[in-house]
Amino acid sequence: MPDTAWHIIEVVVMLLLPLLMAGGLTVVERRLLGQLQDRYGPNRVGVMGEMQVLADAVKLLGKEDWIPPFADRPVFVAAPAIILMSVLASFAVIPLTSGFAVADLNVGLLFFLAMSSLGVYSVALAGWSSRSKYPLLGGLRAAAQLLGYEVFMGMSLLGVVMMAGSFDLSTIVEGQRGLWYVGPQFVGFVVFFIAGLAETRRTPFDLPEAESELVAGYHAEYSAMKFGIFYVGEYLGITLVSALMTVLFFGGWLGPILPGWTWFLLKTSILILVVIVVRAALPRVRYDQLMSFGWKVMLPLTLINLLVTAAVILAT
Amino acid sequence: MVSPTIDLVIEFALMLAIGAAMAILFLFISHLLAPKSKNPNKDQPYECGVVPESDARAPMNVHYYLVAVLFVLFDLEAVFIYPWAISLRELGTSALVEMFVFIVILLVGYFYAWKKGVFEWE
Amino acid sequence: MTVLFYIAGAVAVIATGMVITRRKAIHALLYLVVSFLALALVFYVLGAPFVAALEVIVYAGAIMVLFLFALMLIDAGRAEEARERDWMRPRAWIVPSVLSAALLAEVVYLLARGGVPGRTAAGAAAAGGAAGVGGAAGEAAAQVKAVGIALFGPYLLGVELASILLLAGLVAAHHLTVDLDSEDGETAGAADSGAPGRTRQKGGRP
Repeated sequence: MPDTAWHIIEVVVMLLLPLLMAGGLTVVERRLLGQLQDRYGPNRVGVMGEMQVLADAVKLLGKEDWIPPFADRPVFVAAPAIILMSVLASFAVIPLTSGFAVADLNVGLLFFLAMSSLGVYSVALAGWSSRSKYPLLGGLRAAAQLLGYEVFMGMSLLGVVMMAGSFDLSTIVEGQRGLWYVGPQFVGFVVFFIAGLAETRRTPFDLPEAESELVAGYHAEYSAMKFGIFYVGEYLGITLVSALMTVLFFGGWLGPILPGWTWFLLKTSILILVVIVVRAALPRVRYDQLMSFGWKVMLPLTLINLLVTAAVILAT
Repeated sequence: MVSPTIDLVIEFALMLAIGAAMAILFLFISHLLAPKSKNPNKDQPYECGVVPESDARAPMNVHYYLVAVLFVLFDLEAVFIYPWAISLRELGTSALVEMFVFIVILLVGYFYAWKKGVFEWE
Repeated sequence: MTVLFYIAGAVAVIATGMVITRRKAIHALLYLVVSFLALALVFYVLGAPFVAALEVIVYAGAIMVLFLFALMLIDAGRAEEARERDWMRPRAWIVPSVLSAALLAEVVYLLARGGVPGRTAAGAAAAGGAAGVGGAAGEAAAQVKAVGIALFGPYLLGVELASILLLAGLVAAHHLTVDLDSEDGETAGAADSGAPGRTRQKGGRP
């Protein structure tokens, strides 16, 4: 049955593609950061250091998978699983090209928000179950940060929803045939970009794992492959947020001449590179700045954007 | 052909199952390859080499809880805005006024919290 | 369709059972989250994707996180577990479970007899969903819009009242935590100018 085969292809592609991108990113980021800081970065394995991924994976596999005796075992194991699953599940609603998505849900955007709200458990539980002081502080910080930025992450996307009149990601892409939403929804895009950085705990919002004060934050007690899952989970998160920005603000698969999926991958890759350059360019913010910035600046900005967009839509 | 709803759920379940299987496979391989060693020093929480003094289960700052409460409140606000946003065109101009009133009522509380220093973090 | 419904339902029931029997509060909470996710799937299979999404966003993603924070805040450890164990003695649960079993037996009897009014309608809807392939997706999209139109049409007053309720919650939350914050019974007024009780906090120091 060709239909079934097609579905399986969709599933495999939407699983492997993000995982490969996330794996590749671990090296691309270090290489790029190296270049930006006028040093080499990892360049020993393979021709330009690109085989570093394999070396890292083998190294992680060969490390002792240690569960601290003082930790809460089941929760300690569940925490990395939650982040991996919630991020991978979100990829199910991303349309790679017209008609190519694992689950073309008509509430796709809400599905993404639902899954990202589950990510909080991962960091909070990782910190809690480690039963160690640095992870606990890191986990709490991370959880409070994720909650604070999730509030307006959802609302920043409502401008796009209003313009497209749908939560369905494919419909939203189709709605951008004339003009990418990044134009009329520039404020929404900026807010979502910042919220996305905070949600994936990237610099300048990487306080939960600020190594100079909290060692490694919520995953300080994790080792071997469980740490690897957190590590890959972070890069999967970046890939997801970039892919979503492509779909919502940059016309997804739309583009001339080339097939749709190349445009999608191209736009996503560019956004990922922007995220990495942001890390090289900006210092880490202070925690009180981070929290009050979210509540005092971003939230009002989002609400104003919401009402103005609605007024403009109704006026035209 | 099966109904699209089932199709979605099954495809989605398949995706999660494959993802989980890969994660378990990796953990299993690492279980086979990795060395095991015992050391009493290893069985202590990591605190940069300093001997841990007290249990990590200490009470935390109540401000974190406040953030969680605020999050629930504004998340519920957002839940009311979602259906409004999607049916805006059908609802027309009156909906804009209604939403304005809705948000203004909440903003009263928001500015109250702001004045009271809820958003300040020491 | 029916199979998925029953699987999700079974998961929800089992998970809820685990919630009651877990001794560690955090484990119970995790099972409750699983129960909510299963419930969301039930809603989805019954043809209400919007409700399913809200179930996860509001219950699993927000309210349960609040519970988690509360548990982390008051983590009592061993004493708590001992008390839970005490509650697990048959003397404590046997009467409530006999009473619940009686209710359950009634529900099962009604279901088996087919006498529940909603059942035939739900069955018809399920059959319709399985047969009418093309219409299902468009119908669900219209459903979300219908929710919006209903909320901001006839039920507008309810929405605005909900806003006032949220406002009350906001103010209450602030006062609840301020009083806890300033440990030794300081008045709320002290919180305005950086209460001394707040400086000895454990976390969040920059």
